[in-house]
Amino acid sequence: MHERDRELRRHSRRRFIATTAALGVGALAGCTGGSGEETETTTEAGTNESVGQIGSGRSPFGEREITGGVSVTEMPDLSGELTLYSGRGQALVGELISFFEEYYDEFTIRPRYNSAAELVNQIQTEGQNSPADVFFSVNAGSLGALKDAGRTQELPSEVLDLVRDEFHDPDGQWTGTSGRARTVPFNTDQFDESDIPDDIMAFPDTEAFRDNIGWAPTYSSFQAFVTAMRVLEGEDATREWLQGMQDLGVTEYNDEFLVSQAVADGEIGAGFANHYYIQRILAGRPNASLSTAFTAGDAGSIFNVAGALVLDSTDDAELASNFVRHLLSAEAQDYFARTTFEYPLVSGVDPIGELPSIDELSPPEALDLTQLSDLEGTVELLREVGVL
Amino acid sequence: MATEQQTGTGGGDDEQPLGLTIASGAVAAAVVVPLLWLVKTALDVGFAEAVALVTRPTTVEVFLNSAVLVTLVTAACIGLGVPLAYLTVRTDLPFRRFWTVVVSLPLVIPSYIGAFAFVSAFGPRGAFQRLLAPLGVDSLPEIYGLPGAVLVLTLYTYPYVFITTRAALKSMDTTLIDAARTLNHSRWEAFKRVTVPQIRPAVAAGSLLTALYVLSDFGTPAIMRFDAFTRVIYVEFGTFGRDTATLLSLQLIAVTLLILTLESKIRGDERTTTGGRSGAPMPLGRWKYPALGFAALVATVGLLVPLGILFTWLAQGVAATSGSLAFQPEYAFNSVLVAAATAGAATLAGLPVAYLAARHPSRLSSVFERATYVGYAVPGVVLGLALVFFGSSYATPIYQTLYLLVFAYVIRFLPQAIGSLRASFLRVDPALPEAARTLGETPSGAFRHVTLPLVAPGLFGGAALVFLTTMKELPATLLLRPSGFSTLVTHIWTAYEQGYFGQAVVPAFILLFVSGLSMLVIITQEGYDVK
Repeated sequence: MHERDRELRRHSRRRFIATTAALGVGALAGCTGGSGEETETTTEAGTNESVGQIGSGRSPFGEREITGGVSVTEMPDLSGELTLYSGRGQALVGELISFFEEYYDEFTIRPRYNSAAELVNQIQTEGQNSPADVFFSVNAGSLGALKDAGRTQELPSEVLDLVRDEFHDPDGQWTGTSGRARTVPFNTDQFDESDIPDDIMAFPDTEAFRDNIGWAPTYSSFQAFVTAMRVLEGEDATREWLQGMQDLGVTEYNDEFLVSQAVADGEIGAGFANHYYIQRILAGRPNASLSTAFTAGDAGSIFNVAGALVLDSTDDAELASNFVRHLLSAEAQDYFARTTFEYPLVSGVDPIGELPSIDELSPPEALDLTQLSDLEGTVELLREVGVL
Repeated sequence: MATEQQTGTGGGDDEQPLGLTIASGAVAAAVVVPLLWLVKTALDVGFAEAVALVTRPTTVEVFLNSAVLVTLVTAACIGLGVPLAYLTVRTDLPFRRFWTVVVSLPLVIPSYIGAFAFVSAFGPRGAFQRLLAPLGVDSLPEIYGLPGAVLVLTLYTYPYVFITTRAALKSMDTTLIDAARTLNHSRWEAFKRVTVPQIRPAVAAGSLLTALYVLSDFGTPAIMRFDAFTRVIYVEFGTFGRDTATLLSLQLIAVTLLILTLESKIRGDERTTTGGRSGAPMPLGRWKYPALGFAALVATVGLLVPLGILFTWLAQGVAATSGSLAFQPEYAFNSVLVAAATAGAATLAGLPVAYLAARHPSRLSSVFERATYVGYAVPGVVLGLALVFFGSSYATPIYQTLYLLVFAYVIRFLPQAIGSLRASFLRVDPALPEAARTLGETPSGAFRHVTLPLVAPGLFGGAALVFLTTMKELPATLLLRPSGFSTLVTHIWTAYEQGYFGQAVVPAFILLFVSGLSMLVIITQEGYDVK
């Protein structure tokens, strides 16, 4: 199965490279008419039938039509040099970044990868001398931390208007670029979807989960989930829930990929994980006994975003915000759906995999993402209960 | 200043070491000044809050935990490092060169990778348990907590003691042991009364490196779920409490100063000096196989466990591969480049400091020497941020270039070069360079032609330590590297962090291979001019 997965990826990568080359050509021919390279590129373009398909619905990253969203071709050109501090790993977004770089001739990105928390510390320490133009992050918490430190600037409405209001900062200081839902991965040999409670608070009392459920308490998304529970249910109820889960014999894993894998292997019957880990396993092992359940309207069903912001210290705010805009292009949104199995935030680009659409999810209404930045209290509570 | 320190000189060169003192002071200042950022940032916390934070019960408790951890690991490292060094230098252990390389290698395995591998292998439901499951083993004894943390940290830091002790044994005059033996001392008595006093400064230097490493290590206690002091700092950093984290790091520095003072006290009288004559190695006789078994066991546990776990990841295909993570040979080149540059720079910077401290002991020279240890005891993230501040504020042209990165490594690893060098200078008989002077050599000529060849083993041993630890340094590298610059370790980190464990295997092997190769080169050099 693993072989097959690799084959799949190799194939799509080859395709991507081929299409990217064609795209660069198309862009040249289309946008910079009059340059000396025009004749050369048009000849080459003639040999490749996929030219001109960008903007007409074909995904550059794989085989599907994108009907909604705004294509890169309809966005302002990027030119100049941009320093990107990315809390999202190179493994996940590296390909997208090279795509933009190759698409525009006059555009260079200097990416700097590190964990989101450390990049926040770095930007704060660099102060106004920071070389960073854009900060791209895995969660709303780190974006909010920079906003609170006064290091952001308002994004133009052309950027903010691309996503629904709940997915960008109320003051327009950052925008989400893709979404991740909290889910309950379960083993289909052991449970039906109806066996999984749709109330997260009922989990400690569910005997079927005794010594048969897993979590990853050091993982930041899990901590955001506990933070949400503290906001929604209060400190005491959260403490009781954590205690209850421990009494139930919950198994600890190092991260949520491992939780999902343990569920697929039947080592445990269910667990807590972000939705895309399940999809990543299913992409490699389509027959795995693994499926996704959702709770409703509670901490177990929060919808967090990865997002981006423009630093107050950038020397080219226009380029920076245009780059963030490109992260919301139909092509980038398709890329997130395809490569990281996340939820696109621009309507019209659908998630990939066995997932409900974004409108079918029921995240808690009483919670907005900025409330998830108090990680410190959560970590204290987790330690107090002995989870950490 | 220069005249004052003459009072403390117990022998050695007659020259006023003014130039040397200035050079030594400049090195000390260069490595300490960036850390002033810590003080500046910590002051932003506010006095009342600072006092509350530093004296709260949990802070005190984790502090005691850290103290226990440091003590146990240091003792265990001496227990492993000294016998291994003795076996590979002074006995007829078969394949001594091979064992020297192999037992030094655990030093290049980042301890957080080691810890993660141990948890995966020996966790209650780890790979080892699954292997034993058919035999009815349901779950293994708990590896988490103090025992696990001590085990892992010992396995990945004992090479400090091993390498420094080795250098001391190499340049020791063994005719003294023969003399003791002719005076009817048993082997053990001869070891105790002759060898131990000779290698004590080196063992102390290695132990100090171990102790301070353990004190400042983030990853291992976190993975082993042991409540060490660094965990508190780590939590603060992860939750955007940068200023608080910095304040707590200052507290760590205070403990470092305490340990440094303590170590000065137990160093004792170390003015013993000898030449470097060595006789035939001691035959092991029937102890040959147990000795081989001991070396093999340490190497197996330290190296094969993490490698075995990496292999199972590769074999199980735990995660898919990502196109962006394809390995490039450039990563290995980059790693070697920065590590070699750092080893060279640290040795050069270490020479005046170590020489002054050994040959002209005074309060001032010892302050200079001890000051270089402070950067080593600061967690990498904190040091990285301090240099981010200095680089972006005062040295913009070199910010995010290799120059600043190498400078950061030098701050972090300079004591490794100094500790080893200083111990070597102490073993050089001052009569030898003096004799050279009477034969018409200039002071620097005497140093170059007489002293330097005699300290060569210590010099290369120290450079080796710096090289190996630079190869694996991660937190400061991530903060200070030029954008787009990748090394073996940053590549391993990228793959590991994103769950593409399989792709961490190739760079991990290359890291070990390249380090092993460099160790081989260093060991060959180590032998030069020592009979």
